[in-house]
Amino acid sequence: MLHLIKYRFICTMRDRSSMFWAIAFPLMLATLFFFAFSNLGNNNLKTIPVALVKDSGNLTASTFVSFLDEMEKDDSHIIQVERLSEEDAVTQLKENKITGIFYAQETPSLMVASEGMEESILQSLLDSYNRNADMMYTVATEKPFGLVAAAAAVSDYRELVQETTIDGKEVNGFLQYFLALIAMACLYGCFLGFSTALELQANLSTLAIRRSITPTHRLKMVFVDMLVTFAVHFVNVMILLAYLKYILKVDFGRNMGGTVLVCAVGCLIGVALGIFVGSCGSGREMVKVGIMLAVSMVCCFLSGLMIAQMKNMIEQYCPIVNRLNPAALISDALYCMSIYNNPARYGRDMVTLLIMAGVLGLGAFLMVRRERYDSI
Amino acid sequence: MIKIENLVKRYGPLVALDHLNLEIEEGEIFGLLGPNGSGKTTAISCLLALLKYDKGNIEVFGKTMTPDNYEVKKQIGVVLQNVAVFDEMSVRENIDYFCGLYVSGKEKRKALTEEAIRFVGLEDYTKMRPRQLSGGLLRRLNIACGIAHQPRLIIMDEPTVAVDPQSRNKILEGIKELNRKGATIIYTSHYMEEVEQICSRIAILDHGRCIAQGTKEELKSMIKTGEKITVEGILMEEENLPDIRNLPHVFDVTYENQELTVRCSGAKHNLVRVLNYLQEKDIAFGRVFSELPTLNDVFLEITGKELRD
Repeated sequence: MLHLIKYRFICTMRDRSSMFWAIAFPLMLATLFFFAFSNLGNNNLKTIPVALVKDSGNLTASTFVSFLDEMEKDDSHIIQVERLSEEDAVTQLKENKITGIFYAQETPSLMVASEGMEESILQSLLDSYNRNADMMYTVATEKPFGLVAAAAAVSDYRELVQETTIDGKEVNGFLQYFLALIAMACLYGCFLGFSTALELQANLSTLAIRRSITPTHRLKMVFVDMLVTFAVHFVNVMILLAYLKYILKVDFGRNMGGTVLVCAVGCLIGVALGIFVGSCGSGREMVKVGIMLAVSMVCCFLSGLMIAQMKNMIEQYCPIVNRLNPAALISDALYCMSIYNNPARYGRDMVTLLIMAGVLGLGAFLMVRRERYDSI
Repeated sequence: MIKIENLVKRYGPLVALDHLNLEIEEGEIFGLLGPNGSGKTTAISCLLALLKYDKGNIEVFGKTMTPDNYEVKKQIGVVLQNVAVFDEMSVRENIDYFCGLYVSGKEKRKALTEEAIRFVGLEDYTKMRPRQLSGGLLRRLNIACGIAHQPRLIIMDEPTVAVDPQSRNKILEGIKELNRKGATIIYTSHYMEEVEQICSRIAILDHGRCIAQGTKEELKSMIKTGEKITVEGILMEEENLPDIRNLPHVFDVTYENQELTVRCSGAKHNLVRVLNYLQEKDIAFGRVFSELPTLNDVFLEITGKELRD
């Protein structure tokens, strides 16, 4: 038994192409994600310089000026207002010294020289002011007794939409990419499983023929191969997890035990998927690799590896896909551990994943335990 | 030692083995000779209980061969047609791994591995990976993996395909050495020279049937051809052919591309008579060969086609 384990371990570890997909590729992708997202996260907005051209003597204009003054004093320091004549303001706008010009007049307006994020923010400020002004006007004319309440509501607006956290955990918008990446790494165990299948099925390779005609019990060989492949891949995913947690400082929350358990079941699914696809029929190896790659990539895509909103969109329009997609289930279970405190949802994900692992594992086992073939 | 009775194997409408009967005695080198697709590898696969067959019975060491007959499997070594080793393991690791599938006990396995390495002459390559070996060395590794556990029965399925002459001779010498040490060997090939060189008994297969079986002398005595005379670079008229055909003991004459082939039954002075005739008719010719019948002639006479077709 030890002899079999030792050499299966050596073979799996030295299988460069399979190990590339199972460990090197996820590590590279994690690094890439880190640099891409950390830059976005650290890209704090600068204070936007704007000019204010005031039409004196107009009440609405004065209100708008007060609004801009409040925004300038706000802790967010989103804008810096400079009162200028129209001529100077236009000159500065042309020289790119300011981003836009607010015209404080009966109907406040904005002039910008180009399109961009800062210009969009200025437009949003103006839209926000106009909406609130309209609302206050409507309330004042139709239900004047509600004016005080309306004013309070407007002033509390920012508190109402402020981002909240659950259980004191920090919500990271990019965490789901890393969770989808872990799900992908788990499923990429299929490449290791595939290599194992080729070396077990006598109708697939000469090497498997040689192994099949030895006096070593078939079930023992199958068991050792599956076990070692799973163990190696589990270690691969743990290396990825450690890399994310300790090197890239991705916060997976406090319940690492639950996270590791999800990874273990995910690895089992990945390896079993590889053995299952590898053992199905006697088609060409490249075709099977193509099928396996397509299955795993589609699952990862639908779980939000490339587009973060994908999983939410599927949840909205076709939730059954999220219930059956192993990558989505793995990332969802990991999300439950990292962000949500939702044991029921975690439990549901884990049960589905375990059933999948069981079905695939049993299917793979039934495929490779064959001892006699119709043709070789 | 091995008894194959009425073995029938079909792949859909194709009959790969058609009531094959073989009996192999302990201690012999038994050759399975036949062209590609004649059923040699299929017969071996059935013998090893890898392939399901439609009809028949296979006994090895007096026991019916089944996939879970591990006691019998322990005594069999197989050298497959295609090299079957792990690319990820070194030469020594490969031999040790396959030996370990048959033999328990680290010390015993280690000794057997070293002996196999010495036997195939791979002492200088033990740390190399298979992809670093030449074709000939790779074949030797393939053989070492099949015989390291010193089996009682060794099945070799075309072990010299795509091997250079030097390596081929070394392999053939090795097979004879294994036989001298007591192993029974089943050797399949479509190279008749090899089979003639090393096998004590031969079965000729065609279309899944055993068309002839016996020692090489017995096989050659089954056919009419006793001598084949080949005359190269000869320029003659078609009208001369009947005259040659009418010479004593001649039963077949062909003339193609300035080459005359005359087949005679096993009598003396056939060559002299043919040369006398050519001299009489003043026919110029180049080189002349006289050969005793080969297994190819046996195959040709029985099936009407060349063994290499």
